Amino acid sequence: MANPPAAPVIEVENLSIRYGAVTAVEGVGFRAGKGEQLTLLGPSGCGKTSTMRAVAGLEKPSAGSIRIDGTVMFDADAGINVPAERRGLSMVFQSYAIWPHMTVFDNVAYGLRVRGESGATLKEKVHHALDLVKMTQFAGRNASALSGGQQQRVALARACAFPSSVILFDEPLSNLDAKLRAEMRIELRDLQRRLGVTALYVTHDLEEALAMSDRIVVMSHGHIEQNGTPADIYNHPRTAFVADFVGSSNLVSGTVLPGSGGDAIVVRTAAGTLLHGIALGRPVGAEATLSLRTVHLALSPARPAGEINVWPVTVRQSVFLGDLSQVHVGWGGQELVIRETGACRFAPGDAAFLSIAPEHCVLLEG
Amino acid sequence: MSATAPAHPAIAGPRLITGQGLAMALVIAVLAVFVLYPIYYLLQAAFDVGGADIRPPTAYGLDNFAALPKYQTVMLNTVMVALAATVMALVFGFVTAWILTRTNVPFAGALEQLMAVPYYVTPLLGALAWSLLGAPESGFINQLWRHFGGSEALIDITSPMGIAWVMALFEGSVAFVMISAVMTSMDPSLEEAAQMTGAGRWRTMLTITLPLVAPGVLGATIFVFAEMLGSFSAALVLGTPSRFYVITTAIYHFVSQYPPRLPLAAAMGVSLFAVMFVMLWLYRRIVMRKSYVTISGKAFRPRVMDVGWLRWLLFGVCVLYLVLSVLLPILTLLFASVQKLAVAFPKAANFTLDNFRQALALNAIKTAMTNSLLLGMITATLGVVFTGLLAWMIQRSRLPGRGVLEYIAMFPQAVPRLVFAFGMMWAWLVFPIPIYGTFWVLLIAYLTVFLPLGLRTISGVIMQLDRSLDECGQVSGASWGHRLRTITIPLLKPGLLAAWLLIFVASVRELGASILLMGPDSKVLTPAIVEAWFSSSSELTAAMALIQTAVIGVVLALFTSLTRRASRYGA
Amino acid sequence: MSDKTTTTRRQTLKAGLALATLPFAGLIRQAEAQNRPLTKVLDFTTAADVAKAEAEGEFTFYSHDSEPAIAGILEAFNKDFPKIKGKYVRAQNGSLFSRVTAERSAGRFVADVIQFSELSTAMDFQKRGGYTAYVSPQSEFYAPEHLSNPVGNFFWIGVTFVGIAYNTDKVKAEDAPRDWPDILKPAWQNGISVKQSNSGTQFVQWFELRKIYGEKFWQDFAKLRPRGFDSRVQLYDRLAKGDDKVCALAEYAGYLLHKEKGAPIAFVSPPTGLPAGPLLCGVADKAPNGEAARLFLDWQMSLRGQKHQQTHPMLYYGSVRKDAPPMPGGARLSDYKLLAPKDLDAYTAARDTFTKEWNGMLGL
Repeated sequence: MANPPAAPVIEVENLSIRYGAVTAVEGVGFRAGKGEQLTLLGPSGCGKTSTMRAVAGLEKPSAGSIRIDGTVMFDADAGINVPAERRGLSMVFQSYAIWPHMTVFDNVAYGLRVRGESGATLKEKVHHALDLVKMTQFAGRNASALSGGQQQRVALARACAFPSSVILFDEPLSNLDAKLRAEMRIELRDLQRRLGVTALYVTHDLEEALAMSDRIVVMSHGHIEQNGTPADIYNHPRTAFVADFVGSSNLVSGTVLPGSGGDAIVVRTAAGTLLHGIALGRPVGAEATLSLRTVHLALSPARPAGEINVWPVTVRQSVFLGDLSQVHVGWGGQELVIRETGACRFAPGDAAFLSIAPEHCVLLEG
Repeated sequence: MSATAPAHPAIAGPRLITGQGLAMALVIAVLAVFVLYPIYYLLQAAFDVGGADIRPPTAYGLDNFAALPKYQTVMLNTVMVALAATVMALVFGFVTAWILTRTNVPFAGALEQLMAVPYYVTPLLGALAWSLLGAPESGFINQLWRHFGGSEALIDITSPMGIAWVMALFEGSVAFVMISAVMTSMDPSLEEAAQMTGAGRWRTMLTITLPLVAPGVLGATIFVFAEMLGSFSAALVLGTPSRFYVITTAIYHFVSQYPPRLPLAAAMGVSLFAVMFVMLWLYRRIVMRKSYVTISGKAFRPRVMDVGWLRWLLFGVCVLYLVLSVLLPILTLLFASVQKLAVAFPKAANFTLDNFRQALALNAIKTAMTNSLLLGMITATLGVVFTGLLAWMIQRSRLPGRGVLEYIAMFPQAVPRLVFAFGMMWAWLVFPIPIYGTFWVLLIAYLTVFLPLGLRTISGVIMQLDRSLDECGQVSGASWGHRLRTITIPLLKPGLLAAWLLIFVASVRELGASILLMGPDSKVLTPAIVEAWFSSSSELTAAMALIQTAVIGVVLALFTSLTRRASRYGA
Repeated sequence: MSDKTTTTRRQTLKAGLALATLPFAGLIRQAEAQNRPLTKVLDFTTAADVAKAEAEGEFTFYSHDSEPAIAGILEAFNKDFPKIKGKYVRAQNGSLFSRVTAERSAGRFVADVIQFSELSTAMDFQKRGGYTAYVSPQSEFYAPEHLSNPVGNFFWIGVTFVGIAYNTDKVKAEDAPRDWPDILKPAWQNGISVKQSNSGTQFVQWFELRKIYGEKFWQDFAKLRPRGFDSRVQLYDRLAKGDDKVCALAEYAGYLLHKEKGAPIAFVSPPTGLPAGPLLCGVADKAPNGEAARLFLDWQMSLRGQKHQQTHPMLYYGSVRKDAPPMPGGARLSDYKLLAPKDLDAYTAARDTFTKEWNGMLGL
């Protein structure tokens, strides 16, 4: 795990959330520093939303602790559970939760009014928030008359209207179309940086997570699979799940050959093929599984020089995917998938040479 | 807004007793007293084998239940009539629901609105009118039949089938509402998929649509059957003269006989209660089960079939239903009320306005009507507030045991009103505060028996309310009370107003509970009409019924237009 | 079923003896001995405190009669005493009794004046202490057998008697019933009506005819599957419209009213006799409006009140007051051969049997 940030704003420790007999989240812990965007990433049902709602105070965990800015918000052992309305956080909901019976202005002003603001100062703050999301001219509009994208901005303005050190984002872009999503991503990140707030972000969209986050926590079945920067997670996946969820990956298993020093590792597959990889300091056992990214595998018609991982292969299948081409080859008793840019250079039945740098063959833990 | 905002500004200090907690405790306490207290007394009376006059009971036993098999005819009658009525009501409801939601029948919108009117007309009025129409000897229809050469009688409304017919005509609109809801909750793409495979209209209907709506329709069937078991007014007016008793009218007779057989009545009531309870439990199981059709989810606009020239025929079918259940009864009552002795072919000398004059002079009308209107308004208002809180607690709170709360609140639905009132009679008779025989005991009775109605309506509205709207308010720092005021209630307003109207109408037309709990100061409408039926001429009763219906109709129209205007938010 | 409503043998015996020995002249003295000043109001003497009654302003009348009938009585009383308004509770005799005893057993005292349509019911109520002891100065106008024993509980406010009535359109004159045994004719199957078991008058008829014709009489009657109703208005209503062919419990009072409406009905006075039953009225114990109640009772007992009972179309009852005028139509009660229970002991003892048999006959 990468170094924890100093003076964390959000601290979650050993969190467990159970609904009756079902355990949604178990042993989850992470920290987010000031100004950071920490994203919880995973498929649906992995527990990311439950975790976020626990941080918000909308769910009651069964064990663990949550601290915001040093203040304990939840501690199972000490019996502390601060209700949501007193945690002082902001949240943008997946469905936006725009109140249809109020105007845009009233929606944004709600939190301020709760805090006793009124009059000119209130107006100023509301307009400031609406400015940030470029929705000032809609202030008097009835909220139920807005489009999806407009509602999303209002939700954002509402979250920014009152001072808060943390904004929670619950899949805020999932209801938008692809083009709008891409635009909003940039705007959100921009906004967050400008405000200097810490963001806890939940999404199932890989691209979003990679593009926006400072750190990503990959979750599956209620557990944390890996916690690290986007580059970390992409290049050095820790588990088979992460390897396959973040980008596409081939998994190769085999016995470890003794004798290779330092971080290098050699694995022999069942079919007898040898593969050189790196261990990244992870514990090495008798058996090992390595992750090979599809985009790191290279195919060439002639044998490349200077590569330690080179094998002759036969192309089985070739698919044109637009920006990419996907080629399936037989290797070491299994099928490997290679992705490369540009048009397909190979047809089924062709002979070629497959190569990959050892530092791209990553040892998986567990 | 500065970038160095305080971490988490304090909103309010910590509190030991939250407003939410207090309100919840109060609601539970009131519920327990209203619902369980009478049930306790009902059970006590059923197991009482000591002297009937002696209170509290001296001995308990099962003797009363052992006596029940003697009355198996009554039990069989009840089941027979309930079954027949259910089948008929379902046919009415299903056919009209199908026509109005799945075909391109003209004036569908107007017809849908009108389908609610039979509910307002009430089974009692219908029974009175159909008695005038279909009594074997004196019924207008039969008189017409004989006039045109027929022999004997064309219909006998006092037969079991006749009683079932009247019950079904008026329960039909309930079945209609439930089945339309099922129809509109089915995703049309399911049928479209069938269409794409080449299946024709009828095949799709038989193999896709019907199986999909079947669970919902089954649920509606069970619900209607349970209601029919506890039905009272039609059997009272039509069945008693021809010695045909069902459990509810039998109970009423045991209670009002001399000497009264209260423990027997209680035992009968408890057995009916047990059966209805099982039925309703079944209903909930079927509705709760994740069938392919979501009852509580979004409503779809289903695909409408173009039936060509048949549209007019179907239009006629709907109109026929409305004529039979609304127009014909009212016209009949009008016709009877202006005669001295109601016959199908009156001579000129037979017409008179005396009945109306007499009816208006009767104190019972004026007091009963005012009482009912007042009671209706108070019940509706209190009822909406109370069930609103209850529905919220059940749906949205995290109170442990809220499932139990729901069961208790829905309890009164399983008990026929008359039986429940029986328990209430004893329960409130011995209550230290003298409210027996007054306005207040009626109010309490109404609030209790209409709990399920209010709860069902408001729960439905709450279910459709997006949870995140409230959660967002919570995260923004608003307390429960503040959120209730600024978010929840404004959004629920249309539903709350609809519930208000429903409860108002239900309390004005209430019979079973009122008839046992009325006192000299607290006469109410429907039992007053029944009393008139049994102690004065049918012409006078018709006049009374018409006056009362007219007044209620006007008040209702007034309220409906008021609430319709108020139920639009965002304005 | 364990409800015991019969009075004891000893009590009825005592009642019978007392009736025979009570001199009527002592009644005025009894009234005076109550420590109540007698005042003359309108044209009758009352021992009620009229001023206090008017201060009370209202009273509740529990009665078995039909609603328009009761409303008529209260209206007439209100005309004489505008400051006192009467409310009413109406139920058939048996139901009325159940209701009022249930209330009283729970400590609720709502009724001021109570009227039953059957003697044993009134006597039972008296036994339970339901009536207050109030001897009306009007009692001197009634024969001792028409008052309660001891005096001051209830009085015979009127007498209703029953014959047979039939629909002249449905029944040819030659087939018409003439005497009681004619109601057993198979032709009346499913077309004959009576009252229900909680009717006082019905009990009297059952008892009397059973005495004359034996137990089998009513068992044969049951084979006709008769229909039972709650009020005479209903009986006549159905008869007039032809829903029933014959009414076996046809009160003369109801006949007059419906005949006026032009109904095709005829009344038969069976030569064997007409079962007659008294209607009993009295002031309730612990009445919330005691003075108004007493005033009302005195009014009912007075000539004014009795005239009303005889002439109001919804009532048409025969009065037993000594100086009462003839009933409309010129006849007097004494002109009819009335059958009334003499052996009160056997009469009250037969109540349970009657209820069971009658309920069974009517289908419940």
